[in-house]
Amino acid sequence: MKFTPRMPESNVNVTPTSPLWEFFVLLSAAMGIIVGIYLLLGFAVDVFVPRIPIGIEQNMAGSFINATPLLNDSPEKVQEIQVLLNTLQTQCAQLPYHFSIYLQKNPQANAVALPGGNIILFSGLLDRIESETELSFVLSHEMGHFASRDHLRVLGRALIFMALSAAAFGPGSSVGDLLAQSLNMTELGFSRKQETRADDFALNVLHCRYGHVGGAIDLIDKLTTDKDAELMGHYFSTHPQSKERISHIKAYSRSHNFSIAPIQTPKPEKLPSSRG
Amino acid sequence: MEQLIVIIVLIAVGYAAGTLTEKRHYRSIERRESAYLSLPAVTIKNVDINAAKVREVKLVCGSAVISIDYFKRVLAGLRNIFGGTVKSYETLMDRARREALLRMKEAASDAAIIVNVRIETSAIEKTTRNKNLGCLEAVASGTALFLEE
Repeated sequence: MKFTPRMPESNVNVTPTSPLWEFFVLLSAAMGIIVGIYLLLGFAVDVFVPRIPIGIEQNMAGSFINATPLLNDSPEKVQEIQVLLNTLQTQCAQLPYHFSIYLQKNPQANAVALPGGNIILFSGLLDRIESETELSFVLSHEMGHFASRDHLRVLGRALIFMALSAAAFGPGSSVGDLLAQSLNMTELGFSRKQETRADDFALNVLHCRYGHVGGAIDLIDKLTTDKDAELMGHYFSTHPQSKERISHIKAYSRSHNFSIAPIQTPKPEKLPSSRG
Repeated sequence: MEQLIVIIVLIAVGYAAGTLTEKRHYRSIERRESAYLSLPAVTIKNVDINAAKVREVKLVCGSAVISIDYFKRVLAGLRNIFGGTVKSYETLMDRARREALLRMKEAASDAAIIVNVRIETSAIEKTTRNKNLGCLEAVASGTALFLEE
């Protein structure tokens, strides 16, 4: 055998390439995919979220309610409100939800609608409510948000992930818990249109149940003149929006022939305050 | 935000330093390969050399551990998503193999021939957090035959 020492002419094991170009191409492709998914999710929120089946929403409910600090220190009160809600729902608001009431000790005058039909009322709101019709307005307003699936819409893209994991894994999934904690529920801001729709829903329920819608205007009036303005949540503030809200309620009631009874008649039932 | 800046700096440093190191290493490899051209390192087991002439038979091996730079790691990570040939690792493997062979030859620099040469590569520092290669090790081993003068 003859041995001829020779250097190889080319290196077959290394592809001549520009690593910077390859990096740029791959990075752009990855970024493009991420942006595409983000846009797709935004589209999905507008189209699919309002149509999430109630069953899947029920599966997600646990994650949200567990992430909220609650204080049910007056179960009789909760029971009272629950009975009122059930009456309203059975008589005047046929919705496919099973609503549950929770109380939270919070000086804000606010209420939160959580997925799954859970309604959290803050003690600050209850303290300012003096009659059954006013409480009914609050409850019907929240039910109105559920009817339009508003509480799902405002959660946005994160909700798509939660719904998918709830559909795939059922209730109590860790993905759902993680996401629920990151979604700040108390700062949910509904749009004016959503609020108006919820108001209209509440007016219809009030009219159906009581024959008049005085409770609505009473409550808004009372809270817009309350001196603790900074404690007002999305419900009531001295923002000019409240004036438009009242005028819209009056206009809606007029067009639907709802009677706005004055506060004196009939005498509303007194509710025990949450401190009592 | 700071994390992003750190990553960008690492990538830039990796690219600059990595390219420099690679070029220098290849120059050194080619220089030494020319120098050792007269020492054959073959994979066959039987050569027609008179057994009486063989003075000494020795196992020689050379190993090299080459590390990857951050830029190549990121590039390979992207490649892992889309598939295809990971060109950034090709130079890594090439350098490791050739360096191992050269070191093996160095261990038997006055041998007549090195027979039964085998090369093995393995990955080092493959932590669970960073699934890409940390370093690559290549070992070249063979039987060196020293002949009587």
